[in-house]
Amino acid sequence: MIQLNFLVIPLTLVLALTLQILPLPDWAQIYRPDWMALALIYWSMALPKRVGLWFAFVCGLLIDVAQGTLLGQHSLALVIIIFINLNLHQRIRVMSLAGQAGYVFVLLLINQTSVLWIEGMLHRNTPLMAFLGPPLIGMMIWPWVFILLRDLRRKAQLS
Amino acid sequence: MNNLFQPARGTLAPFFLLVALSITSMFIDQRFTYLETARASIASVISPLRYLVTLPSLSGAWVSEWFSTHNTLVEDNRQLREEERLLNARLQKMNVLLAENTRLRKLLGASRKLSDKVIVAELLSVDQNPYRQLIELNKGSLDGLLDGQAVLDDYGIMGQIIHVAHNSSTVKLISDPEHVIPVQFIHSGLRSVAFGNGSTDELELRFLPATAEIYIGDELVTSGLGGRFPADYPVATITEVSLDKTHGFKSAVARPKARLDSSREVLVIQSRESRQPNAQ
Repeated sequence: MIQLNFLVIPLTLVLALTLQILPLPDWAQIYRPDWMALALIYWSMALPKRVGLWFAFVCGLLIDVAQGTLLGQHSLALVIIIFINLNLHQRIRVMSLAGQAGYVFVLLLINQTSVLWIEGMLHRNTPLMAFLGPPLIGMMIWPWVFILLRDLRRKAQLS
Repeated sequence: MNNLFQPARGTLAPFFLLVALSITSMFIDQRFTYLETARASIASVISPLRYLVTLPSLSGAWVSEWFSTHNTLVEDNRQLREEERLLNARLQKMNVLLAENTRLRKLLGASRKLSDKVIVAELLSVDQNPYRQLIELNKGSLDGLLDGQAVLDDYGIMGQIIHVAHNSSTVKLISDPEHVIPVQFIHSGLRSVAFGNGSTDELELRFLPATAEIYIGDELVTSGLGGRFPADYPVATITEVSLDKTHGFKSAVARPKARLDSSREVLVIQSRESRQPNAQ
């Protein structure tokens, strides 16, 4: 039987996708945190047996279509960081929130590097703040994302 | 109960498989058009979200219209009437010119169509990749839109359609760093191409002949070469001309006529056939 509670995970990912395409003023666009990456990092850390690489791949494709990037550009980045996360999740789970935020920063930086590297190969140059901005903001909001999704997971009794 | 020490699914085999899959699909997406249907179907799946995020700004506009005062409405009405009178006056002249033009063309045996069928579409306020100049329209293949059709607002050419889903489509603006549009100077008849450079108020014209007569204020229209954009639609006005003495070339900067960052309603020109999106 498919657990209805399990739907919580896709729903949060849809919410993340919505936040990803929500209109922002021009100056704020390059600081938009990668919501999808944050949500996937949480779920693959908390429930690594349910949310894994295939989730990352499909979500990446959704983002690629939503943002008009090459199909596979975000998938590649997300698959890489979720792979790292899956292999480290037991150590990361027991870290403090601040420590986790630092770790998430590194993951988001890898994600960003991969995406922008491909942009760069297509001869589109990006400003430095576009590179550092989203991971920094992502790091700062990680504790809230973590607490929110953890409470949601406990409410839905997923483990 | 889960076993704490059982390895999770971060194993190497699916990792390499998915990495390879991503890289292959990126390669195919960049070089060929096979993945357009996949992109269109995924876009149709997520299009409700696109409409959802447009709601706040739409309802904002609706509320402000509802609560606008009598005075502003009267003022608006007056202005619109005035504008209509002006346009009507111009149209009369235009009709005469049109008739004359068709007659002359017939005499010449030229067969170019003078009016193109258009479809009106609205922008969805959806944020795309911040490093590119893409916009999203609320019409798609169900309304007859096709890859490669030209998009304009009431001032000039805006861009061309690059992806079509069932009820939405993606437009690459002429200011996108990957976009190049064939243009012609109205006065001198000189043909060139205008490159987008990523900012909405600049197009670049590179490597013009040093002897070309180009002045600030010159108007650019589409030349119709390349078969993508119909000829003679306004594109941009020259704002800057510089001469590279060492290489013997002139280059110029032009400001697009279309309001690339503020137009809400756009026209999609219908009479163009679908082409391979890779042909610029």
